[in-house]
Amino acid sequence: MAEYQGLLSGGWHRVMRNKRYIFWFYVLNVALAWFGAAGFNRQAHDFLDHSLLADRALNGFDLGAVVEMFMQPEFGSIHGVTGPSLHFALLFFFLTALFLPGVLMGFASTYRLPRGEFFRACGTNLWRLIRLMIVAGIVMGAVAGALFGLHGVIEKRAAESTSELLLPEVQFVGLTVIFLVMTALRIWFDLAETDVVLSDQRAVRRSIAKSFGHTWRSLGRLLGRYVVTTIVAAIVLVAGLWLWMKFVPPAGIIRAIFVSQLLLLLLLIPRFWQRGMAVTYYLQNMVQPIAVVQSFTSTPLVAPTMVEPAPVPIPPSAPSETAGS
Amino acid sequence: MKMRWWLVLFLPVVSVLGISLAVHEHAVGLAARPQPAASAAQPVSTAPVSSSKATTIPDSTLGINSPTPMSQRIVHYEIDARYDATIHAVDATEVLTYHNLTGQSLDHFPFHLYQNAFQPNSTFVREAKIAGSRDIAYDEWEEKEYGSEEIKSLEVIGQGNLTSQLQYIQPDDGNKADKTVADLRLAKPIAPGEYVRFKIAFQTKFPKTQARSGWKRDFVLGGQWFPKVGVWWHGAWNCHQYHATTEFFADFGVYDVKLTVPQFEVVGASGVKVGELNNSDNTKTLTYHGDDIHDFAWTASPRYKVKEDGVFHGQMGPVQMRILMQPAHWRQVERHEKILRESLEHFERWYGPYPYKTITLVDPEPDSAAGGMEYPTFITGETNWFMPDGLYLPEIVVEHEFGHQYWYGMVATNEFEDAWMDEGINSYTEVKVLDSILGRDTSMINGAGVTFGEREGQRLGYASVADVDPIAQKAYDYYSYNSYGGITYGKTASVLLTLESIIGEDTMARAMHTYFMKYRFTHPTKEDFLKTIEEVSGRDLRWYFNQAIYGSQVMDYKVLKVESFPANWYDETKSHFRKDDKNTVYRSYVWLQRKGDFVMPVEVEIKFDNDEKVREHWDGANRWTRFVYEKKAKVISAEIDPDHKVQIDRNDFNNSFTTAANRKPALKLTNYWLFVTQWIGQALAWWAV
Repeated sequence: MAEYQGLLSGGWHRVMRNKRYIFWFYVLNVALAWFGAAGFNRQAHDFLDHSLLADRALNGFDLGAVVEMFMQPEFGSIHGVTGPSLHFALLFFFLTALFLPGVLMGFASTYRLPRGEFFRACGTNLWRLIRLMIVAGIVMGAVAGALFGLHGVIEKRAAESTSELLLPEVQFVGLTVIFLVMTALRIWFDLAETDVVLSDQRAVRRSIAKSFGHTWRSLGRLLGRYVVTTIVAAIVLVAGLWLWMKFVPPAGIIRAIFVSQLLLLLLLIPRFWQRGMAVTYYLQNMVQPIAVVQSFTSTPLVAPTMVEPAPVPIPPSAPSETAGS
Repeated sequence: MKMRWWLVLFLPVVSVLGISLAVHEHAVGLAARPQPAASAAQPVSTAPVSSSKATTIPDSTLGINSPTPMSQRIVHYEIDARYDATIHAVDATEVLTYHNLTGQSLDHFPFHLYQNAFQPNSTFVREAKIAGSRDIAYDEWEEKEYGSEEIKSLEVIGQGNLTSQLQYIQPDDGNKADKTVADLRLAKPIAPGEYVRFKIAFQTKFPKTQARSGWKRDFVLGGQWFPKVGVWWHGAWNCHQYHATTEFFADFGVYDVKLTVPQFEVVGASGVKVGELNNSDNTKTLTYHGDDIHDFAWTASPRYKVKEDGVFHGQMGPVQMRILMQPAHWRQVERHEKILRESLEHFERWYGPYPYKTITLVDPEPDSAAGGMEYPTFITGETNWFMPDGLYLPEIVVEHEFGHQYWYGMVATNEFEDAWMDEGINSYTEVKVLDSILGRDTSMINGAGVTFGEREGQRLGYASVADVDPIAQKAYDYYSYNSYGGITYGKTASVLLTLESIIGEDTMARAMHTYFMKYRFTHPTKEDFLKTIEEVSGRDLRWYFNQAIYGSQVMDYKVLKVESFPANWYDETKSHFRKDDKNTVYRSYVWLQRKGDFVMPVEVEIKFDNDEKVREHWDGANRWTRFVYEKKAKVISAEIDPDHKVQIDRNDFNNSFTTAANRKPALKLTNYWLFVTQWIGQALAWWAV
């Protein structure tokens, strides 16, 4: 990885070497969402397939027709269609947490991680990650609550101003600050997750403490790169929606499906990129040196025959000064 | 501090008035046990009205493009008001001249004191807390945000000071804490044809904006801010309490109003400005005059930017368009002027002339609950600093409020009892005008691939509360705020749009024009309106009005089932009938159902697979009907109301049925749904893992 010392380039390279993860997460995403949308699909077909009025939803997006559809008791319960969608979206989130250790291991590896190793990492680190997520949830929830509370107070004060534009300006600045703070917290826990997995750290609190120190010391460097990748995601989203609106005719269902799914596939990349950057940072800065005690002898060493690559804790791609010590 | 001040003033006043009330009740024996309305029986401090001045109502025409008065003028308000911007209050004297054209002696006069609605125990607040308020969360309401309207003294010229005779009454709900109506019993009745002059000293404290009146920051909208006499209507005084869902009702007349405000204020008001004088105390006095109007409103803010060079050349003369904009909205001023001008053009062309010399459009303080309101020759719009071109909120609000110059301003119906006659008829004309200007299906939203029409918006507003209330009932008797809105605005608009399908669009247009010209500057009833439509169309429409206006029946027609099969199916089967045989005669059945209890004849279009179309008529009398055809073709679709003229059917989707499924629309919407579901999952995973 010597040629990719930069966080952005290093992270990107790791993602590109492991494109299959993006593909499989996309498959997971679309499969779960399809289950979530199945209820809506059935109700929509039952309600629309034999109605001439449905053309109003097909040829353009007539908001009135869509609202009317949801209003009709014959369409069925709104909760009946929103509930499953939210549940399956939540399931995607949990499965992401489950498979994340394998992804981190794959990113750190210099070779293609075998399936068994991938899932072993997932299994080994599941409860550690859940513990980490609980801590992250508490910290991020508390900070977000405090920040939004403060934001609300400032908003209220700004709303009293006779300058109408002060409120949107305050809102923009406030939300930007909240975004940056939350991103910093995200970086902290991304590093902690990486440390837990790659260091085989059972004591989650140690990874949290260690990552906090690193986040604090390298905040500018890490935050800048996380913000860049987030902006990339935003650009991808806006550009994708614009292309969808501009070039897909209202009744072009197949093209709409293609564009929307391509967009969602691309939207997965920035977050993986951030994970790749976290792994790169970990390998460059957080790996603990391991003291290797061995006597110098003239007898040549015989390398052991390995069926599988050596397991963690130290990934083969660790920096040379660590490996050689 | 304010509370203590109130107590010091209030306790002795209550003592004095308590005694006078007891004496008065004993003598008069009022059934409603009214409460004293004035704070003190003080003498009027200002100079008495000159007895040499002839008591009459001026026949001035300064505010209108007409050489003669256009209304039967019953009132003349002369108000001299000073606005204290620091406490958002007006201290004023009001001389009201009333011409008794009732044909009988009047021994008492009720007055609206609207601003007393903004007190915790008022009927307005009680109802708003139950029904919901779009303006304010009452649980966070502070005392400094209350409003009040206090008569300091009231003198009847020739009868002396009658302040002590003022009694609060609650004719609608008996809520003793409600002080929005005060009744004055005269010592000497006013004979038919006579004039009476009241000289009233009052103080109005505006609330923090509610119901399109009051202050926000350094802005104020002075609406319903002075004591207003009730309307003698159908042999009795009509003077309702102020309710959460009601608006106003008043007689036509002349207004001469002097407003003294700080010099830094930019002011807009009803009528025409006839004078401006800078005073030595850093205030200025602006004088306004209004003819043939029934209310007077004004606004002040130091930050308005004004455009007043626009002139509309109307049928009766030029109309100055004065537009007061918020600084952050200034780039939208042309947009506002354009829709105002186009609304004037459409209303003049379709309904009748706009006779006033001015129209003032106010873009009120942002987030102020003052947007979207109508007063004579004075309206408030509503917009935001961010308002994309394809989002037509400013156009909708301006058009709607301008429409009220006709349906409320000139055709001055009783908004307490027949709210549908101003809001609903206005919503109907709003749909017509906006359809014409912005397009039938694009008059609310037209951008980013999304469209939404005003017509559909009104229908959906109705459909959400279709079976709750009838149109024809008092505005304060609706089940809820949503029901009031959905029925009064949405249902009325939908009912009148549907009426076009019954009598024809041109006939409906003539009826509306006739109604306006016949009843402008009067107080028509619902039957005046309905009879005008019947007269112009030459048809008995009671069957429709009884259901649509007076009833709460709901319309829901449905194509229940469509089937086609070979007429000689038995023989065909034996002779190895092939399904695609073009000589096969099919027997086709189309079943229609009337699901709701609203009965109305409808047209039905049946299409066959040989491109043949058949139009049928169903009277809807029975719950269901069936059409049978024998043709060498199968039915491919049936559609009720194929021209989409009926706006009151609650469910338009079941009005048609195609034998072949078209899976594309559902697939398209499912793709949207899938996209959102996937995206939510990704967003959750982004932040939480």
